[in-house]
Amino acid sequence: MDIESYLRDPQSRMRFFQRSGVIVGGGGSAMFLAACADNTTTPNVLTGPDESDQADVEILNGALDLELMAVAAYKAGAARLRGSALAIGKKFLEQEQEHADGLAAAIRDVGGKPNRAKTSYDDFPALRTQTDVLRFAVDLENTAIAAYIDALPKLTQRDLRATAAAIITNEAEHLAVLLDALGMDPVPDALVTGRPA
Amino acid sequence: MTERIVIADGDADTASIAAFERDRRELLRRGFALGGAAIAASSVSLLLSVRNAFAQATGDAAILERSIQLENLSVLTYETVIAGDLLSPALARTARRLRDHEREHAQTLTTALTDLGGTAPAPAKGVAEIDEVAEGLGDVKTRADVLNFAIELETAAVAAYHEAHGKLIEARLLQTVASIMANEGQHLVVLRMAAGQDPVPNAFETGAS
Repeated sequence: MDIESYLRDPQSRMRFFQRSGVIVGGGGSAMFLAACADNTTTPNVLTGPDESDQADVEILNGALDLELMAVAAYKAGAARLRGSALAIGKKFLEQEQEHADGLAAAIRDVGGKPNRAKTSYDDFPALRTQTDVLRFAVDLENTAIAAYIDALPKLTQRDLRATAAAIITNEAEHLAVLLDALGMDPVPDALVTGRPA
Repeated sequence: MTERIVIADGDADTASIAAFERDRRELLRRGFALGGAAIAASSVSLLLSVRNAFAQATGDAAILERSIQLENLSVLTYETVIAGDLLSPALARTARRLRDHEREHAQTLTTALTDLGGTAPAPAKGVAEIDEVAEGLGDVKTRADVLNFAIELETAAVAAYHEAHGKLIEARLLQTVASIMANEGQHLVVLRMAAGQDPVPNAFETGAS
């Protein structure tokens, strides 16, 4: 499937992200699969520190799946990138890997077992040009931001929430650089949600 | 603190020179180049002040009040540098865009505070108010100074919001603050690119510099 069809077809995007541990709903909302079951019943007051670490492990593993997929995507796209765009791709690949390593460590810290990368990610849309790669990366970064923001209040540990916020902000920075590389406004919205305005 | 001493009448004021040298040596000891002394020195007080302010804030309403004050100061800072005529037309457009974002943040946070039954603090009135958390805006003299000052201000905002994530109670508020923090990170990207810096130096953007 080419990138244009992928971006325009909500069903394709939903299927793609679901295989990667993320569910994408109508209106561009995204959430980690592990966290979506109780999405509609999430109370507006955060849960206390005595909640099970298991909930955090499931959310963190959903985030880890997405980060590992992003690493694979930047690797797959690197062949189409040149010059400054290639430097950007390499840098972001390293940072997504840092996120994955950090999440895996956090999962182990609370007694969980981190998910591993899939042996192959053969369901990416066709990335034939540099623009294809950049547009796909924009979609990945937006989806990650939306999923992390959805998961944020479901994390029971305060330090994990702060770490998630630091990752969200980094993904938003990636987004700004990618939009700029595409010749678009790098800072289109005052509130970054990862969802269409 | 002055960056340079001008001896108008040709008679050296030895006391002033001695004071200047003390300041200069102190700055150099702290690792700052003299050319950026005013900005670098201000960044230290800014970061400490903002972090202390959030450290002392307990409860969602108190954190919101501090956040609104910070956003108001950011609006005033951008207003001041736009009026200062140091920016190129393109950079002035960027500054106006970032100012508008900071204003939108303040409005969003004010709505959230009002929903909690609180009252928003008054908007910042003058540069003297900025000096309470960020001395040195009055010393900004070049385009590079402006960019450095704005980068420090946005970095401080990211640091403050990062800290707030460990304190906020209400879920929707946590998500709103995350959206604002992410936007401040994007502001940093734009400013760093304009300053010729690495736009995304850290995988975890915490505002630690």
